[in-house]
Amino acid sequence: MTLALVILAVLAVLRAATPILYAALGGLLSELSGKINVALEGLMLVAAFTGVIAAIHPPAGLPPALLPWWGLLAGLAAALLLALLLAVLHLECGADLIVAGIALNLLAAGLTVFLLAELAGDKGSTARFATPALPALHVPGLERWPTLDLLFNGEGGRGHHLLVLGGPLIALLAWLFLAHTRAGAWLRAAGENPAAAHAAGIPVRRMHYLALLGSGLLAGLGGIYLSMGYLTLFQADMTAGRGFLALAAVFVGRRSLAGVCGAALLFGAAGVLATRLGGLALAGALPPQLFAMLPPAITIAVLALPGWRRAHLDKPPRKLA
Amino acid sequence: MKHTMKHTMKHIADFLAPPSGRRTVAAAGIGLLAGLALIACVSDEPLRAWLILLSGAMPELRQGADGGWHWQRLVRFGTVLEDTVNLTLLGLAVLIPFRARQFALGADGQLFLGALAGAVVGLAWPGPGWMALPLAAIAALLAGGLLGGATGVLKWRYGANEMVVSLMLNLIAIECYRLAITRWLRDPDAGFPATPFLPPAASFTPWIPDTGVGPMLLAAPLAVLAVALLLGRTTLGYEIRVSGAAPAFALQAGLPVGRATVLSMALGGALAGLAGFHIGHAVLGRLPVDLAPGLGFEGLLVALLARHQPRAILGAAFFYAWLRAGGQAMERGSDVSREIALVVQALVIVLVMAERWPWPRRWLFWRAA
Repeated sequence: MTLALVILAVLAVLRAATPILYAALGGLLSELSGKINVALEGLMLVAAFTGVIAAIHPPAGLPPALLPWWGLLAGLAAALLLALLLAVLHLECGADLIVAGIALNLLAAGLTVFLLAELAGDKGSTARFATPALPALHVPGLERWPTLDLLFNGEGGRGHHLLVLGGPLIALLAWLFLAHTRAGAWLRAAGENPAAAHAAGIPVRRMHYLALLGSGLLAGLGGIYLSMGYLTLFQADMTAGRGFLALAAVFVGRRSLAGVCGAALLFGAAGVLATRLGGLALAGALPPQLFAMLPPAITIAVLALPGWRRAHLDKPPRKLA
Repeated sequence: MKHTMKHTMKHIADFLAPPSGRRTVAAAGIGLLAGLALIACVSDEPLRAWLILLSGAMPELRQGADGGWHWQRLVRFGTVLEDTVNLTLLGLAVLIPFRARQFALGADGQLFLGALAGAVVGLAWPGPGWMALPLAAIAALLAGGLLGGATGVLKWRYGANEMVVSLMLNLIAIECYRLAITRWLRDPDAGFPATPFLPPAASFTPWIPDTGVGPMLLAAPLAVLAVALLLGRTTLGYEIRVSGAAPAFALQAGLPVGRATVLSMALGGALAGLAGFHIGHAVLGRLPVDLAPGLGFEGLLVALLARHQPRAILGAAFFYAWLRAGGQAMERGSDVSREIALVVQALVIVLVMAERWPWPRRWLFWRAA
């Protein structure tokens, strides 16, 4: 019984961590190319919104089974478009990357609420419409082993959402790409020292485009999971800071793939912990706001921890980025 | 004499409308046109809606039934002025850390804590009435400043990214605010969770009836002046600017980069706290639990539109406050929702941010790297 509880908790953490993981992998990709992507939040939001809206208003003649895939495609395209805008603004028009990223977050927030009000007739959410979810993958033939069934198929044997399973897979692909392909090595070289990379004949600008567009795609996947998996609707500001948590995961993970994945899981766990604690009977005595403060407090603590340890080992402070 | 005159005129013209300012105005025009295009996609009568967006905030002079002339829609124009004060203070709050290249996004949380601190002092102050307002303002400044300073310390001492930390502190501050109002400050007679009304000694007398436009209107230009002087004419301002423009040089030259970093965020936080004081004591007169977050980010847009120049903040804030009020009027008067104002604001920023427009040359003769 305890094992079952542990498995359930782990699965809940995995689900909560998935959107952060995708966006964090995107953030890592762009960070490694030397171009920090602050717009992850906006990219997620735009993908989550476009996916749902496209699935609600499909082109005529699309079979219902393909609806979620059409939404997925549309959401990813929207995130790519926004990432392209960021890349062009920075690489072609010379805009400050961080400022441009912040501005695009605000653009995404405004645009999604505006279009939500116009297209769904409701400023809060698309709850009035049924949103098709992307399918879950069910492993058959495990009914005889309840624990395994729980692990591989989740509560009620519904199976795991495709994008939850895709998370580790994408992380693996990212590792293969960064460590074992020429483009991956080029991308990292462009981040380490753009001038040297350029002198060595590496197409640095193309690498920067690749990294920013790739981070858009990955953050888009995270957004799609939020609106077509984690929930099956779009809410105004439904990313609720997850894009910035992903950014934090890149810093906390010290730009290593394993570290970033671990940080994403940690932030997912913090979120689950807060909701579970808030839902307990304890909440009757303690105000619910205290539990809502928990995840951000954990994030700050985790971000400051390495620096705190360094400060107490009496090393000089890090130079200002 | 004539020569000097011409020069002076040119100086004045450049101060009021610097070349970059002219480009900003052009960007605002293009952004508004893009807004029209967007409205045309969703509305049945786009041009009418767009015109309301542009002119909805304007007060009207009308002849009343008694033959006298009266200003109409003054209350709506009052909200423009209220928002101008808010956005000016918030824009400056974002601008100071940005000049030190600290991308602190904590204006929202600082505003909430500032409003809360101001209200607590305003409600609880037992002493002479004339001290209530200054004390409340100081409490708001301190609350916002401490929160901003905390972000700065976490960044400088422990290397925690200020963008993420400030956003997380926003969440914590807003929960603190809600907790305090629902648990401790709630007025049992109010139909919704809110503090009691602030006593008259702790509120301003409005200049325009039924609005929050009062003496706090002067806070906007004064704050702009103070920040312009701070950045342009003081040692601390110089340290902030150099730490932002050339951090390696500043460290090498022995400038107190850490102090400049922390103080830039603390000063920004104090101004955001003052915006909270303005909302509580001048505009609303009480604090509702569901005070909408997000105003801090509009302050961010104002700072970006002003291109981090203090003297341009007032105009940028007025423009955005105008659009906000116009958007609300448009929502009531047409089939377009007011969020279009946010979209237009962000679009203008995107246009303003671009330093150059290299195409079509590069796109025609594409070369890698």
